[in-house]
Amino acid sequence: MNKIEVQNLHFSYTANTEVLKGLNFTLDERSTAIVGQNGAGKTTFVKLLKGLLQPTSGQILFNDRNIKDISVPALAKYIGLVFQNPNDQIFKNTVLDEVMFGPLQIGMSTEKAKIASQEALGIVGLEDKEEVNPYDLGLSDRKMVSIAAILAMHTDVVIFDEPTIAQDYDGKMRLRQIIKKLTAEHKVVISILHDMDFVAQTFERVIVLAYGQVLLDSDPRSVFSKREILQNAYLEQPTTTQLCHALGYDDVFLSPSEFVNRYRTITDKSAAKD
Amino acid sequence: MAEIVINNLRYRYPETTRLALNGITCQIHQGEFIGVIGRNGAGKSTFSQALLGLVPNFYHGAYGGSVTIDGVNVKESSVDELCQKVGLVFQNPFNQITGSKLTVYEEIAFGLENFGVPSDEMHRRIDNAMELLDISELKNRVPYDLSGGQMQRMALAGIIVMEPEVIVMDEPTSQLDPQGSEEVFRAVRALKNQGKTIIMIEHKIEKIAAYSDCVMLLDDGKLVAMDTPKVIFSRDDLAKHGVCAPTYTQICRELNIRDRDGLFPVTLEETRALLDADMKERVSR
Amino acid sequence: MKKSISLYEEKHSFLNGLSPETKLLYVVVAIAIPVMIGGRIPFIAFMAISIGLLIDSKVLYKAKTIIEVSGFILITVVIIQTFFRGGNYTELFRLGPLVARKEGFEYSMGILLNVLNIIFCFCVFVLTTKPSDMMQEMVKHGASPRLGYVFVSLFQIIPQMTEHTSTITDAQRSRGMETEGSLGTRIKAFLPLISPVIMSSFMDTKERSIALEVRGFSSKAKKTFLEDFIPSKYDSKIRMILVIIFISSVVFVILKATGVLPVWLR
Repeated sequence: MNKIEVQNLHFSYTANTEVLKGLNFTLDERSTAIVGQNGAGKTTFVKLLKGLLQPTSGQILFNDRNIKDISVPALAKYIGLVFQNPNDQIFKNTVLDEVMFGPLQIGMSTEKAKIASQEALGIVGLEDKEEVNPYDLGLSDRKMVSIAAILAMHTDVVIFDEPTIAQDYDGKMRLRQIIKKLTAEHKVVISILHDMDFVAQTFERVIVLAYGQVLLDSDPRSVFSKREILQNAYLEQPTTTQLCHALGYDDVFLSPSEFVNRYRTITDKSAAKD
Repeated sequence: MAEIVINNLRYRYPETTRLALNGITCQIHQGEFIGVIGRNGAGKSTFSQALLGLVPNFYHGAYGGSVTIDGVNVKESSVDELCQKVGLVFQNPFNQITGSKLTVYEEIAFGLENFGVPSDEMHRRIDNAMELLDISELKNRVPYDLSGGQMQRMALAGIIVMEPEVIVMDEPTSQLDPQGSEEVFRAVRALKNQGKTIIMIEHKIEKIAAYSDCVMLLDDGKLVAMDTPKVIFSRDDLAKHGVCAPTYTQICRELNIRDRDGLFPVTLEETRALLDADMKERVSR
Repeated sequence: MKKSISLYEEKHSFLNGLSPETKLLYVVVAIAIPVMIGGRIPFIAFMAISIGLLIDSKVLYKAKTIIEVSGFILITVVIIQTFFRGGNYTELFRLGPLVARKEGFEYSMGILLNVLNIIFCFCVFVLTTKPSDMMQEMVKHGASPRLGYVFVSLFQIIPQMTEHTSTITDAQRSRGMETEGSLGTRIKAFLPLISPVIMSSFMDTKERSIALEVRGFSSKAKKTFLEDFIPSKYDSKIRMILVIIFISSVVFVILKATGVLPVWLR
């Protein structure tokens, strides 16, 4: 079973301002959303996971190996990170070449890399765009190319940095499927997100970061029930949960369908009583 | 009073074969808040840029039909004339920073300097705009050091000092965290209260439903419909056009709870009232 | 994380108050005179003046970074010239098979002094001049506001681009690319980095140029400025002094060349 253990993790860019102030948790095969205000330390944290930054103290263990002891290019085999801005990554002239770059770098054979890349392009819905220049695609599709480029590497851990930016409704539905598929394959899936509705309906675990510390860490239902704590971290409840609150319900519902089902059982009961 | 009249607007980008805008006809009145929705590639950004004549004057390409603002055809006027009537704010706050100014205050002055506004008038307008958008305390900060929400409000201030009657925003909050996006929406509400016409492209459907007087649904370059949020979100073909209704509307559609006009509610308040009433009715039945 | 990496910082120093033109004139004088007169003393003298000015303006620490970056290249020049300069040579010392050559060393010292002097006096100008003042002066003297903008924004946009490049490097290393190691590895790593840098700055530039247009960048109206730059009362005096020093140097050089210079001055 894949896991990442974060132990007493501290980090600061400059001597007097600490960005991460002692994080302790284990990331496992539950899909995990990391939420929090900008500046809470989310991006810094994923950079540490990828070895792009080194902790000032504490450590991160990936399957019992200290990340510090693995070079960044070597780590690419195990941990994939989709950057927020696809333009930071894309440099090949065709979508297929771009997606194949990562797999080839980590030592896959050309043949295998091609199969893996085509499969990944199928997952993101760009199977018919193999020969297109990535820069002829719109931003949302380019983001999908950068996601495929990581999926094709078949890493045990997949990290997304704000994947929903620029995605419309269909794009978000596709992302949800991708995250669920990766989780079903027993991968460790971690994502930084701002869209609470998407988080509530997609992830199994939510970690709320604020001022470099873990404020909440639990399943979405219990995290999103803490209305006041979330407000203090400048976060909102998901829309459905807000509706529950407005109606004075004690239960926390995360999606419209949950709400509807519950509403029906209540009204059916009262109808049955008559 | 800015009256925008769009008549059979068609546009194709250079070296493409598909019409990015395909026969859009509509009118927008002074003081209205227009929400523009649609899937990616539907033509929303192109539409927003056509309002300033950036399409076709900046991008070139094939153009048909007309956009007139107060009787002025935008195609025949230059961007620097139009931008005093119509302001445009983009998605990425970072790329709107001029890079030539050291403080927020100077950054906001950029447009006014270009139009030769006298210095004391500049100070008056900048102070007003900063107060309206609640960024007065950021005056002496370095533009690049701001948070996303602050940066976006600075960009908005740089536009409203030019006193346009219409403000077009192309997904102004998509790259911001919830707090930043709330700050921007609060600023937008202040502008709306001042009687500005606001045209906003946005994927955050609950916000569009709450703020808009009128929603334009675009798909494949065509205007599918333009009506009140309730009418638009009560349509049953939204999924076909790549958008979804607000959560509240989805719930009420599922439960078939409608208002007196037979439409589904689109905001929290309305939904709560309807659900409360429905529950009471069912229990008492 | 601080994103602003602007070179200029408001320190309310004497130099901050001077007109950009005066400082630019200093740059010209400080570069030209040592070259005209020759010898090492004028270089050292002007460097000393520049360093003094930087200390007075409290920006010497910023100049330090610039010197460190260029220092690497300068040291390379000194080493190569000292050990490999062609022609006849006088031996200074030996380092294994390599012979340190006096001529090469002296030649490279000449280059070193010249370059350092240029860097220092440009630091005086760039580190103490507010970009918008610079732009205002340029526009006043008939430069197009467009040119002024490009010139001024470069100072801010280049640091932004450097930061962006490090993100791009991270993105490619994250996909398993080796960026460290032998020269071959580094060269191979070059393309995946350079292309996104160009493409994304190209796209950003396009967006930025529209953002500028909608704020009246192309307006034909006569530009005004938020704060009119008020030249210091010392500006004209300092300029006069600089001009006098410059003319005297020219006269000195001519006299020296024609040999009419009194013996004690030669």
